[in-house]
Amino acid sequence: MRKVIVGNHAVSWGVKLARAEVIPAYPITPQTQIVEQLSEMCASGELDARFIKVESEHSAMAAAVGASATGARAFTATSSQGLALMHEMLHWASAARHPIVMADVNRALGPGWNIWTDQTDSLAQRDTGWVQLYCETNQEVLDTTIMAFRLAEQLDLPVMLVLDAFYLSHTSEPVDIPDQELVDGFLPKRQARYKLDVNEPHAFGALVRPDDYMEMRWQLHDSLRSVVDAYAGIEREWAQLTGRSYGAIEPYRCEDAELVLVTTGTITSTARHVIDERRERGEKLGLLKIKMFRPFPGELLREALNGIPRIAVIDRNLSAGHGGIFAEELRSALYLGDVAERPDLRGYIVGLGGRNVTPETINDIIDNALSTEPVQRPDIWVGVKA
Amino acid sequence: MSESFNAIPRHTPPISVSSTSTEVNRTGSWKYIQPAYHDRVAPCSAGCPTGVDIQGYMTLLREKRTAAAAELLLQENPMPAISGRVCNHPCESSCNRCEFDGSVAIHGVERMLGDRILEGRLPGSCRIRHAEHVAIVGSGPAGLACAYHLVRMGYHVEIYEQEQLPGGMLRIGIPEYRLPRAVLDRQIEFYQAMGIVFHTGCRAGEDVSWEHLATHYAAVFIASGAHVSRLLSLEGDQAGRLLLSGLDFLHRVNSGERPDLGRRVLVIGGGNTAMDCARTALRLGSEVTVVYRRTREEMPAIAEEIEDARREGVNFRFLLAPESIATLDSGLRLSCRKLKLGELDAQGRRRPLPTAEPPLELEAETVITAIGEDSELHMITADLDDVRRAVNTWSCERFARIFLGGDVAGDERTVASALGAGKRAAIGIDRHLRSHNGEHFPDELLEEMSIGRTGALSMARWMHSDPVRRVSPLNDVVRPEEINTASFAHEERHEDHHAEFSLSFAESNTGLSEAEALAEAMRCFQCGVCNECELCQIFCGENAITHDSVNGRFVIDLDHCKGCGVCTAECPRGAILMERLAGQD
Repeated sequence: MRKVIVGNHAVSWGVKLARAEVIPAYPITPQTQIVEQLSEMCASGELDARFIKVESEHSAMAAAVGASATGARAFTATSSQGLALMHEMLHWASAARHPIVMADVNRALGPGWNIWTDQTDSLAQRDTGWVQLYCETNQEVLDTTIMAFRLAEQLDLPVMLVLDAFYLSHTSEPVDIPDQELVDGFLPKRQARYKLDVNEPHAFGALVRPDDYMEMRWQLHDSLRSVVDAYAGIEREWAQLTGRSYGAIEPYRCEDAELVLVTTGTITSTARHVIDERRERGEKLGLLKIKMFRPFPGELLREALNGIPRIAVIDRNLSAGHGGIFAEELRSALYLGDVAERPDLRGYIVGLGGRNVTPETINDIIDNALSTEPVQRPDIWVGVKA
Repeated sequence: MSESFNAIPRHTPPISVSSTSTEVNRTGSWKYIQPAYHDRVAPCSAGCPTGVDIQGYMTLLREKRTAAAAELLLQENPMPAISGRVCNHPCESSCNRCEFDGSVAIHGVERMLGDRILEGRLPGSCRIRHAEHVAIVGSGPAGLACAYHLVRMGYHVEIYEQEQLPGGMLRIGIPEYRLPRAVLDRQIEFYQAMGIVFHTGCRAGEDVSWEHLATHYAAVFIASGAHVSRLLSLEGDQAGRLLLSGLDFLHRVNSGERPDLGRRVLVIGGGNTAMDCARTALRLGSEVTVVYRRTREEMPAIAEEIEDARREGVNFRFLLAPESIATLDSGLRLSCRKLKLGELDAQGRRRPLPTAEPPLELEAETVITAIGEDSELHMITADLDDVRRAVNTWSCERFARIFLGGDVAGDERTVASALGAGKRAAIGIDRHLRSHNGEHFPDELLEEMSIGRTGALSMARWMHSDPVRRVSPLNDVVRPEEINTASFAHEERHEDHHAEFSLSFAESNTGLSEAEALAEAMRCFQCGVCNECELCQIFCGENAITHDSVNGRFVIDLDHCKGCGVCTAECPRGAILMERLAGQD
């Protein structure tokens, strides 16, 4: 079935098809439509799930943890300050190995109060042990939602799927909605490895002494590192069923490129258009979209960017006092590569707080990246008013 | 050391989880207070002078066990079809739902159940289990209630009634539009079928002597009511000949007379008799004005009666004290002093004080007085207070065989109060007679049978048939703040239906439909009694509460209950209380 729906509803449809069982949620713009539609689906009986209205996002994640601990498939959604408020429970979810799926609609953190898109909210949670998958289109949002549950439950890890506020969340696109039977075959009912059982009570989350704590974290880390391969396998299966896959990273026209733009989210679509145009004019330009931020697919990136002399990373986010987060992560990943082949990598900060990133913006970045003048600082702010 | 670099942990689970069952951890040893399920008293029952187990029958109704609900109601209340119509339902003003979204329409449920009972088959005759015979003087609600409870206990009971038909004030005082005679007659038929013997047209002390009653019966209950209208002495008419007594007027109309009162009628008084007179006079075609010495707020009549009277077109003149009356060609002229409200009196009502303003003159063809009724105390030879004390303490040997209750005993003049008094007397008589046969009843029993602190007794308790396992004292009433209202949704109260407005003697209030009554039962908070809603079990963090499906109750595993109290906090109905453990202060 093909429907024209907004990105938020693509999430809701994905969650419905995934047959989530417990949905604790607290509304926040711009994600509210996601849980609003889910609450309607629960109320109408289309979705057989317990929808729990909670008093805060901290409680939403706590309730998701509780539900997951009983073996249920749990989902929630949030944005910005709501995600920040969840921070403590995000650690709990991952370290207790709860395969919770959450949608984060990227929104700038206040103050100044701002509801528009900006990736800093999700990227600020990079060390919480959650898988993070960034989406470019509404179709990708729906597909990723369903695959996220498979991935989460296969490895007992929580997964955050991330979409841009308004550019995806409130923008309508045609989306192919798979049949329930197809999804049921792809994503059977959750079989929890550990769960609360009143008939066989165990203590969960109790004190762990230095003797064992490191081993538990090693296992968490190891499971996260295995996500890249596991995700590839899951996508292959999804592609067989639907013909669609996205990749943890997606190199686009990178062959023989002298400059590769690195993007995430909806900026990728704009950049794709610019790259096509300038390729027409004979310029050797490529594009690389990063979908998976945690675990960071360093190996895939080193391979894809091998031999590329110039790289321009476009960040709609900011690690204040340091720079664009994707640029810093990529720079760190490439450090493990061949020192002699190290490219000229420039990080561009754009579009914070939802400022529009247009083809002109991308063209300016390309022009700057192609110039041979050495850059004075690692982060270049684009379009900042004097 | 080599193995410590990037070794794969094989013996540590990926998460922090105990390897053994946590049942070994006796968290119960932490506690100094512990929860216990208490079947407590709902405020409706505590507020009911008859002590009806309202929560109990509401629960049965919710479970669609209508017959069982009716039986439970009948255990305490002999005439739900009647009390559902005419009671001032203090149960509703006590209801914990009042502040939430309006009290449960208890009277409507009661009436529906009562009507279903009367529509059913007549009951069989009660089996006689005792040799003693009991006489009852008066067949009003108190006398009928006492007789009803006694025949159910197995006594032979005979009622002496001075009127030609039984019912007392129900028949002569309450107008037909509030209590259709068919309902009353059917109720009396039920009592006759149960075995109660009625001697009508037979006045104690005249048609049957007190000596006869005292010698031929093992016990006597005097419930002769209050039938003497208080006299209003006015300048120009000291003997009250120009005035019509309210009770006499009602008696005549209720017996089928339709007197012509003239175009204008004044009714003096603010109680239920005054409202009945005013509305009855209205139905006889007159313009009616009620004259009352205080304001509407101080009127002792049932609020609904005042509202109905107002709606039907009765006029009210407040803060007036009639002082003199004169005969005119055109009728009567009542001259009233204007009053104002002063300080509170002993009953907490503001005292009316005279003003210096010129008197107000009102004209009418008929002036009815309804300023209260007194009992015919001369018929009782003993000192009234001694008799009343004997009834209330069960201990006065001198009057042990004579019991007194209802209006004649100065009880609150409501049907509910009279029904409670009749039940109280039945229990007192049973206790007295069985004591004579060697049974022992400790004085504490009286308190154990009391519901709340209003003095109503529980027949269920007396008969050891209380369906609820009340382990705490019966007067432990659930307070509104003990209700966890988060567990309930707002639902509008169902109000009585009224037939199209007409000033006739036919009943205009048609009550609630069966579905509406059931919906009201669903609104009941079920205060104080566990209905197995499972919230305690759901919230118990120690999983220390299990359901005993055989006995239909929850059991607390005290080895693991750590006394956190979340069950008490979450219980919607105050059925779980925390108790301090012995030795823990």
